[in-house]
Parts: sequence; C-alpha cells; structure tokens
Amino acid sequence: MPGDRWQVEAARHAAERFGIDRRRFLAAAGGSLGALLLAACNSSGPKGARALLEFAERKNEGVERLLLRHSVMDHAPRSAKLARNAFPSYYVSDSVPMWDAALRGAWTLEVSGLVRRPLRLSLDDLVKLPRVTQRVEHFCVEGWSAVAERAGVRVSELARLAGATADAQYVDFQSFDRDYHESWDLESATHPQTLVVYGQDGHMLSPAYGAPARVFSPVKLGYKNTKYLTRIAFLPRRNGGYWSDQGYEWYGGT
Amino acid sequence: MVRLTHWVSALAILVMVGSGLRIFDAYPAFARKGETFCCYPWAGHAIPAKLTFGGWLAGARNWHFAMMWVLVATGLVYVGFLFLHGEWRDIAPRRGDARDAWEMVRFYLFARRDHPRQGKHNALQKGAYSAMTVVAVLLVLTGLAIWKPVSLGWLTRLFGGYVWARYWHFAAMALLVLLVVVHVVMVLAVDPYALRSMITGWYDPRLSPQERNARPFYHLLPRWGRHKEAPDAR
Repeated sequence: MPGDRWQVEAARHAAERFGIDRRRFLAAAGGSLGALLLAACNSSGPKGARALLEFAERKNEGVERLLLRHSVMDHAPRSAKLARNAFPSYYVSDSVPMWDAALRGAWTLEVSGLVRRPLRLSLDDLVKLPRVTQRVEHFCVEGWSAVAERAGVRVSELARLAGATADAQYVDFQSFDRDYHESWDLESATHPQTLVVYGQDGHMLSPAYGAPARVFSPVKLGYKNTKYLTRIAFLPRRNGGYWSDQGYEWYGGT
Repeated sequence: MVRLTHWVSALAILVMVGSGLRIFDAYPAFARKGETFCCYPWAGHAIPAKLTFGGWLAGARNWHFAMMWVLVATGLVYVGFLFLHGEWRDIAPRRGDARDAWEMVRFYLFARRDHPRQGKHNALQKGAYSAMTVVAVLLVLTGLAIWKPVSLGWLTRLFGGYVWARYWHFAAMALLVLLVVVHVVMVLAVDPYALRSMITGWYDPRLSPQERNARPFYHLLPRWGRHKEAPDAR
C-alpha cells in the first residue's frame, strides 16, 4: 500500500539523516549504559546529586511530619515474641558505657533549656513519676525490628513539669556515651509513646540497653533514641545528632 | 510521552533496585529479633555490593527516598497518559487473552507455524506489562508500609505487619526485576526494532514480529524456523 510505503521511506530517511543505524545505535547505547552502570556500581552516585537528595530529604520530612499524629500508636503484634537477649545492643563507645558514680557522683537527668523550671532528677525521682508501660515494636534503620516491653515516664510529662516554653520547638537528647545525642522535633518528642525508659521486659534497664535511662519512642527509628541519657534540652532550633550529622535522615521517623 | 516515561522510569527503577538492595544488606534477613522467619532461605547472605547502589546505608536510603518520588510521578504521568489517549487498550488484558497467550507459547515452541494475529502487543506482552503495573502498585504500597510502620500503621497491618510488609516489598521487587529481565531479553531476541522505536518513535510496521513471524532468537535459528512463506510478493 502506498501509504505504508511512504511511512517506511520517511522512517528510513529520518534515521539516516541523524546518522543512526541500528547497529551503531545499539553499540553506543549499550556502551554508554554499561559504562554508567560500572561507574555506579556500589558507589554513592554523582556528587552533584547531593543537593537534590538533601532537597528530597527536606520535602520528605514535611510529608512525614504531616503524617505523624499523636493519636497513631504502635502496638507490637500479639503474636510477636519479646526479643529479650536477642535485642541488639549498640553504643558508640568502645565498651558498654557505664556511669561511674565514684568519679562523677550519682547519675541525674537534667531537663533544661527553654524551660521555666529546670529539673535535675535522680533515678528514684524518675521512678516515682507517673509510669507508662508499653509493649512496642522497635524499628531499626537497618531493617530489623524487635519487640520489648518498656517502662518509663512520658517526655511530655517532663516537659510539663519543667514548664517548656512556647518557643521550644526542638528537643535534644544527650548522653554520656561519648558525644552521642540526637535532636527531635517537638511533635515526636511529646508523642504519648515517647518515654524516658528505665525498665525493660520487667527489669530495670541493663547497661547494654542504655542504663540508667534512655529515650524510646516507636515513632522514631532506633538511632534517634538516645541511650545513656543525661540531659534533655528544649531548644528553639534543631541541633543535629550523632547519626544525623553523618548522613542519616535527621527526622528518622517511622 | 510514553517513551520519555519509559526511559526515566527505567533509570529510576535501576536506582531504586540498587539502593533497595543496599538497604536490604544492612539486615539481609526478615525475622523479627528473637524470632524465626519461615520463608526466606538465604537469610544472612548479603547481596554482593557490586549489585548495589548508594555506597552505604544512609547514602542508599537518601537515594531511595528521593528517587521514589521520581518513579511515582513518572508512573502517574504514564498511566494518566495511557488513559487520556486510550492507549491503555493496548495493554489491559481482556477476554480471550489467556487463549491468545497460549497460542503465543505454542508459536514460540514451534507447536504452531504462524505468528498469532495481534494488536500493538501480543497477549504475552499484555500480560507482562499489566503484571508490571500491578507489581508497581504493590511496591509503592508495601514501600509506604515499611517507610511509615507507625504513621501508616493500618497499611502495615494490612500486609501482615512490618516483617511481612518488608518481605512483600522484597518479593515484589524480585518479581519486577524478573519481568524487566524477561522484557529486555525478549526485546533483543524478538523485536530489536522496537528498541529503536522506543528512542526515535519510528516503527516500521513491516518489521513487526508478526510480519517477520519472529520467534525468540529467530536469527540464530536454522532457516526452517525463521520465516513463513512470503505472504505476497508485492
């Protein structure tokens, strides 16, 4: 049919004009794709993309903040087992960080920053405050999850006791595990499941899991949950964090 | 537009798979700590780093969480375009496709001499491309479920909890990779002219697999398997 033939002629013509024949095209495409793939393998990608990735991270944080509600709760599946000793134990010091009372005096938790009544709480003080016990799933950035029963005081309760001011929009959780700390948005920090934890699976927290006290909330990935807690600082702006400063998302929400 | 979204999503899928495997390697297993998991025999064996992208866990996560928007946006543009232009009819399976697909299999296995009549795509292709769409939707949903297991806890529970949502995300990825590999092999083996047309937009209908009676790797086959009798000498 003449119509079809015309189309075919035109196609050949256009392709020839651009100097593309199939063989040359395939060779070029295959070659460049192969080179691209080889260069990309196991790499962190082109440097120029960093700004774009950071842009995406900021946008993602917006979406994540929008999705977070104080009414959404994490409850470990009924069928899930407590991880107990299989619960991974992480710290950044070379060995399990232990509070040396002989050297540094009795451990206390400081609640300070943009607050009307700074607090300094002993472990006894903490235990006497209203206790929340929750059986929750813990989500690690690595992809594993683990279930533990955790007992402690709501951070929102501490914020109320200390009288956090209206310009306190961020909270920094600092520790005695070297310089470990992670700062949070206020919304996540005052979520009802965000606790200063001193008890796990029916026992007082052991040194491997952050004794005497640690932060834990299922609304944040594991690395945001500072162990070996010493200070809760209410701040007007974010203050980065140990892992956040190294490239992990600052928000780190679940 | 179809060509543009095809190549953008091809690249995006490559980055998503590579960075996803890198993320997976941080914990190449599915069991909740303190439990066992029934259905993944390779637990503890990491994917070779050469097949991954992102360099390290945080790098891979940043790529994964940025590229996901590119891929979703591209996918929406593609699907939207298909519907606006009615081209979805070329892909959506319909009554009789199962039989046509069987005829294609018979043709490929030399149980049938002539290439079955087809529209733009044959029934096997339509099945594969529709499956890709369904798998893509599943990937997005399971992805959201493991990204936000608390904020979107209802979605996570829908997939059986965090551990299973992560498993379905992985399985759907594996299925998509399989479909993509088959797709690429078949393009090269049956209809290499389609590759050019996916770049330039020009397709010579006389070179279609149906016209050429092309089976996979037809050019490697002995002469009797290559061509039907010329339909007319024109």
